[in-house]
Amino acid sequence: MAHAACSGKGCRVLVLDDEPLILLDLEFAVEDAGCVPLTALELSEALAIAEGESIVAAILDVSLSHGQTCAPVAKALAERGVPYVLHTGDLDRMDEAVRNLGGVLVPKPTPAAVVVSRALEGIAHCQQA
Amino acid sequence: MVLRHAHKKVGNKSLSSDRADQAPGRADDASTTGQTSEEQGVEHHDAGGAGQSRVRPRSSQSGGYDDSAERFIANHPDDAFIGASGVLFEQAMAQTRMAVCLCDPHAPDAPIVFVNRAFRWLTGYEESDIIGRNCRFLQGPGTDRDAVARIRHAVDHEDVVVVELLNYRKDGTAFWNALHLGPIYDAQGRLIYYFGSQWDVSDVRAARADERHARELARELSHRMKNMFAVIGGIVNFTGRSHGIESEAREINDRIQALGRAYETTLDEASSGSIEVGQAIRSVLSPYDPEGRRIRFKGNGLRSDFSAVSVLGLSLHELAVNAAKHGALSHDDGRVTVAWQKNGSSDAPTIVIDWIEEGGPAVMPDASEAQAPAGSIVDRMLQMARGNIMRDWHPDGLRARLRVPLREDAV
Repeated sequence: MAHAACSGKGCRVLVLDDEPLILLDLEFAVEDAGCVPLTALELSEALAIAEGESIVAAILDVSLSHGQTCAPVAKALAERGVPYVLHTGDLDRMDEAVRNLGGVLVPKPTPAAVVVSRALEGIAHCQQA
Repeated sequence: MVLRHAHKKVGNKSLSSDRADQAPGRADDASTTGQTSEEQGVEHHDAGGAGQSRVRPRSSQSGGYDDSAERFIANHPDDAFIGASGVLFEQAMAQTRMAVCLCDPHAPDAPIVFVNRAFRWLTGYEESDIIGRNCRFLQGPGTDRDAVARIRHAVDHEDVVVVELLNYRKDGTAFWNALHLGPIYDAQGRLIYYFGSQWDVSDVRAARADERHARELARELSHRMKNMFAVIGGIVNFTGRSHGIESEAREINDRIQALGRAYETTLDEASSGSIEVGQAIRSVLSPYDPEGRRIRFKGNGLRSDFSAVSVLGLSLHELAVNAAKHGALSHDDGRVTVAWQKNGSSDAPTIVIDWIEEGGPAVMPDASEAQAPAGSIVDRMLQMARGNIMRDWHPDGLRARLRVPLREDAV
């Protein structure tokens, strides 16, 4: 079920999570879906990718370490028209912030393959037109 | 009580007409004039330096008769309460544990003209410290100016107001005061006093703060637990991947994640030690019905102790997996009804869960045997929990009944 939308090879997908093991799992799942994962363990890495790379979708962990959230990345992506899913185990507390970010909500824990397929849902054709 | 009697008062108070027209005094605002600020400054000095703390323990409030009401009446003959009203006023003032004061809005700076004993005990001041001063002497550095402004507004508009504000006793200790303040009129409808009732709500506020803290802690715990299950899921997945056993890893992971969902619902009420069975069931099954159309939930607020979570959660997960592969959830029209209830005798109560599939592919009795081999993982888990599962294969789907002992002693 992971091999949902992205049949085109080489689509780049940004994955942000401050937990390395979750990031690793998502990286594999993005590869399994036939895309190229660009991973970020912290906000600055994610911002650099969002602003410097050509990506088709993103998976964003909402609450990051040091009290940071993914909001700046979400904003940068929204400006570029890149769809993203918000992957969070913190829905109770982040409610307000998350709502303001828009994007598709995927609660943690959700199997990585499902997270990736939700992220790729919005992009029916990513064969790099 | 007191107020009602005060309202009934047949007053002979000789208010001169110019006084009656005068704007009500300002009972509370330290910042209105330089004079009052200075006065407040002196209060703090007294409170800090005198070292003559006379706050009496509140437990001793029942002792002795409080004659302050009698003395007040003696000193205010024009305000005499007549007959029963007067007696009731005295007795109520003497006996109530509610701190009460009266202020004269027509005298300069609306001084306090009466306080009962509960007021003196609450604040630690003697009557001679209090009479003739404006109520604001109870305020201090931590008093919220907005609360004071609300009091001021109510006084200016002859309104009733209830405000919680930080006040200070004579010994300088702070307490949260639920102040109830309002005007008292005479029989002719003229404003004659402001009454104030004070209640120490420090404990109430501390309890509220504790509750908030506990809620925040539960949320943090919930966040960490979800994260932990996500990490475990990640480990299982990439371990399976590295050994080329992705499908086995997925099966393990699905079970772990079902367990995670079952536990997740228990955290909000972690302190109660019990879980709401229905919430755990809904949560476990939610991924099998993302649109909320195909699984129907029927049950009341049945609670169980924590130990039922894992077996119930995993058993229902397995039933849902099978239904999605072979049963009602493998068909677009298929439906599942899950109903839970308490059953069994009072000394051996049981959680009974009915799992009813409808609209699925036709069930072949032979095939059904293969789908649910004796000794399947569901049977083994339920047996280990001293429960069981009965399966009944109807033409339109499986009907199963799960039982596990209900332990409610933690409730």
